[in-house]
Amino acid sequence: MTVAVAFENTSRHFGAVVAVDRVDLVIEEGSFFAMLGPSGSGKTTCLRLISGFERPSEGLIRIFGEDSNDIPPNRRPVNTVFQDYALFPHLDVDDNVAYGLMVRGVPRGRRKDEAGRMLELVKLGGYGRRKPSELSGGQRQRVALARALINRPRVLLLDEPLGALDLKLREQMQDELKAIQETLGITFIFVTHDQGEALSMADQIAVMNEGRVIQTGSPREIYEHPRTRFVADFVGSSNVFPPEVSVSFGEAEAWSSLRPETVSLAPPGTGRVDGHVVSVRYLGASKRVTIAVRDHLVAAIIAADSPVPDQGGGVSLVWPAGSFHVMDDD
Amino acid sequence: MLARLSDTLWRRPGLFILLLLTPPLLWLGIIYVGSLFALLLQSFFSIDEFSGLIRYELTLKTYYELLTPANGDIILRTIIMACAVTAAATLIAFPIALYAARHARGRLKAFFYLGAMMPLWSSYLVKIYAWKLILAKEGIINWVVEGMGLAFVLNAILAFPVIGGNSLSVSYIGTFIVLLYVWIPFMILPLQAALERVPEPLLEASDDLGATAGQTLRHVTIPLALPGMIAGSIFTFSLTMGDYIVPQIIGSSRRFIGQAVYAHQGTAGNIPLAAAFAVVPIVVMAFYLWYARRRGAFDAL
Repeated sequence: MTVAVAFENTSRHFGAVVAVDRVDLVIEEGSFFAMLGPSGSGKTTCLRLISGFERPSEGLIRIFGEDSNDIPPNRRPVNTVFQDYALFPHLDVDDNVAYGLMVRGVPRGRRKDEAGRMLELVKLGGYGRRKPSELSGGQRQRVALARALINRPRVLLLDEPLGALDLKLREQMQDELKAIQETLGITFIFVTHDQGEALSMADQIAVMNEGRVIQTGSPREIYEHPRTRFVADFVGSSNVFPPEVSVSFGEAEAWSSLRPETVSLAPPGTGRVDGHVVSVRYLGASKRVTIAVRDHLVAAIIAADSPVPDQGGGVSLVWPAGSFHVMDDD
Repeated sequence: MLARLSDTLWRRPGLFILLLLTPPLLWLGIIYVGSLFALLLQSFFSIDEFSGLIRYELTLKTYYELLTPANGDIILRTIIMACAVTAAATLIAFPIALYAARHARGRLKAFFYLGAMMPLWSSYLVKIYAWKLILAKEGIINWVVEGMGLAFVLNAILAFPVIGGNSLSVSYIGTFIVLLYVWIPFMILPLQAALERVPEPLLEASDDLGATAGQTLRHVTIPLALPGMIAGSIFTFSLTMGDYIVPQIIGSSRRFIGQAVYAHQGTAGNIPLAAAFAVVPIVVMAFYLWYARRRGAFDAL
């Protein structure tokens, strides 16, 4: 496997603020890579370090093995889909998409053909003469994608690509982005704060917090074996228990996580621990039940049609052996 | 009483807007458009050569008079000067405005605003007379140029026919320099405002797609700043067209439109011809705006 992008002990400071803190990261060619983290975690700065809009304060970025620190953005084999699309308002869709070819001196006729092909790829054929202001959010997103792909980059960067779209459109675009990535076989690196998006689209995820990469791995590894409390909490609102509570639940004395969907409810006295129902929230296909066990809250996600005692009612909790996942203490 | 009034205005927002807009509309309607119309009307009257009295009959006679060689020269001279000043103001103002909008921060930015606005604070006449001293044969420019042993360069420039003269202060070059100085803030400020509104991500997108800095300037920055540039050029162009004091004090004795209007409505008492002269800048500006609009200069608005 070729390495597309590598961070080697890379930091980026803005004055006293450390946006990216000694990051080591390897992104393989052809992967669909997600940088996941809360806002301010440094993920967008990482993306800008790859595109070249920021330069590392320390360390370096390699793009296909080449030290990129002194290569300006316009000469990197990388293109970006910007967060708010950044379409040129004075150009029509065709000219927006063909912009990368125009600045490279490709003749007008070839530019038009190629822009048409790219618009077909993103399912916007026939929209070439419109202005960006005449398009919906989803259509603008597609134009931004076509414009970034026309230069045939080896790496495509996407900054919160679906952030501005509504739920239904977001799900549709997730499938399409995945399909386009598989068709073209190029590396996609996208930044998101939405763990659901990262889990469903990426084949590798780097979870970031406070400028550092906390964990990298496949979605399944991240979800099932979070390395730290932060990851467990951020990726899928897990139950996180300090050592003393884990022990009282009959598990090992260590920081542990327990996925809410592995917990089921039983009549009082029949399960592992007893508690009482604090709240029930209806989520459509499922329900999220919060149960107080002594003075600790435990969340359980159960099928929407399973019976739940009223608020304050006694209940017992059951989970399969081995559900508790032990984590680092940080 | 006041509460009832405020309730009424809240229920009828149209009435409120009408109350707010009436005074400015009266001002604009009567004082401005009205006098403009009166001016236009005057230009279609003519003057009786013998009695020197105005004949109140609609005629195009005054406009024929406008096209005589002597008057045509005045119009042409003024338009060329206005074009030259506008072009030079755009060229000089653009880098300044770009720097102020994109790179200057904090105190440097405050310094820029001060620098651009300061010339507007002092009296117009004081500035022009100061320039007369600067440009005069005994002035500081001549002194510096001579001190550097470059007098022959200045003399070569002044030896050019038409634009040259005895010294800078009595040549078209002098008129041009002073007009440029006086009106350039009106180009810098709108241009700077327009450049400030060009979103940073668009410049990054251009860079990301492979454009050089020059290509980004040409294909993104300038097209998006064009409305500001047009606004600035309207100011510098029309202000230069109408100026009658700068060419009076600095330059050769040949007249500009402003001076012609001043002379004809004053001592000569030929109001119709003065009015016809005053219509020229209006027509030129209207044509310019129509052309700019047709070329899509305002599409980015």
